[in-house]
Amino acid sequence: MDILEEIKNILAEILDIENRIITPETYLVRELGAESIDLLELAVAINSGFNIDVNDDKIFLRKLRQYVTEAKQQNNDLLQYLVEKFPFLSRKRLEEIVTDLEGGPALKVKDLISYIYTSKGKNHGT
Amino acid sequence: MKFTGNRALILGGSCDLAITFAKCMIEAELFPILTYRNKKGRKYISENFKDCQKKYRSLYLEFGNRDSIDSLLHQTGDDIDFMVDFVQGNLESLVASVDAEHVYSYFAENISFRAEIVKKVARIMIKRKKGRLVFISSAAAKRPNPGQGFYAAAKLASEAIYKNLGLELGGHGITTVTLRPGYIDSGRGKKFIQGHSKEVIDKVPIKRVLTKKEVAEAILFYLSNSATGFNATEIPMDGGLTSGK
Repeated sequence: MDILEEIKNILAEILDIENRIITPETYLVRELGAESIDLLELAVAINSGFNIDVNDDKIFLRKLRQYVTEAKQQNNDLLQYLVEKFPFLSRKRLEEIVTDLEGGPALKVKDLISYIYTSKGKNHGT
Repeated sequence: MKFTGNRALILGGSCDLAITFAKCMIEAELFPILTYRNKKGRKYISENFKDCQKKYRSLYLEFGNRDSIDSLLHQTGDDIDFMVDFVQGNLESLVASVDAEHVYSYFAENISFRAEIVKKVARIMIKRKKGRLVFISSAAAKRPNPGQGFYAAAKLASEAIYKNLGLELGGHGITTVTLRPGYIDSGRGKKFIQGHSKEVIDKVPIKRVLTKKEVAEAILFYLSNSATGFNATEIPMDGGLTSGK
């Protein structure tokens, strides 16, 4: 089973929803309504299902807004700063996230997939 | 008593109370996994369980040594139904005379380290969708004697960690309870009681100290199915010591 399918099944079970409504572009918090306790369960399931260490702050982009503020305060190049903080996300994806901040938590299913690929040492080209 | 699960990780497994508790577990056909921090502790555990070789396990865990958590949990795997936490380093000093360096290391060992192992064990329990954790605190958390300020502070902080875990994960089948024993004729309290027996007895409404056995049996009860309604709370077991003035 590929990573997307496995993630969809995990999310469907945790959030008690149908997995067919989940795509790589689905927002976890904005669309699926995932709460902090759901994200904790998700982290544990990813750790166990993919046999990788999960840093909850990283995979769920918890410090994203803090990093944006820091970059501005320190007059750093914002995208470069975020690339360093979230090495599992592509520059293109980070550009997308930066323009999407006002809409709410930017975390999407595809970000989880990127984290898992990177942790497993694979390159999936996103 | 009925239990949902069989294996309990017992932190601080080489103290007398933990050993008494582990024996109660074995009698109840449960499997204790006792942790020790050094060779002396390991030897003490093995001497106490000579007659029940395959009914327990002892593993290394040293509070403050973060690598020892991963090593411990690698050996236990995900097969942990309960955790009972007896660990507490001692720092007895008046607040105004304490060595400041010691305070930093004491809180790191007794609070931060504990938070890390609680987190890791809780994540195992989340996978299993069940788990029960009992923290052994102390009546000193509520009513410390002079010199017990740091001990009490560490106990109260640890209680808060367990309380919140029970609040956060109760809906996921993982519950916690803290027991606050008073004077027990065991461990570091024993010496104090021997030196201050009249003073101690006078303070306790039931006019006696607690035995290891009765505290161990109470802990076993708090692991049982009948006790899971006690969640995210602290329960005094001190003969009334902390209820009066």
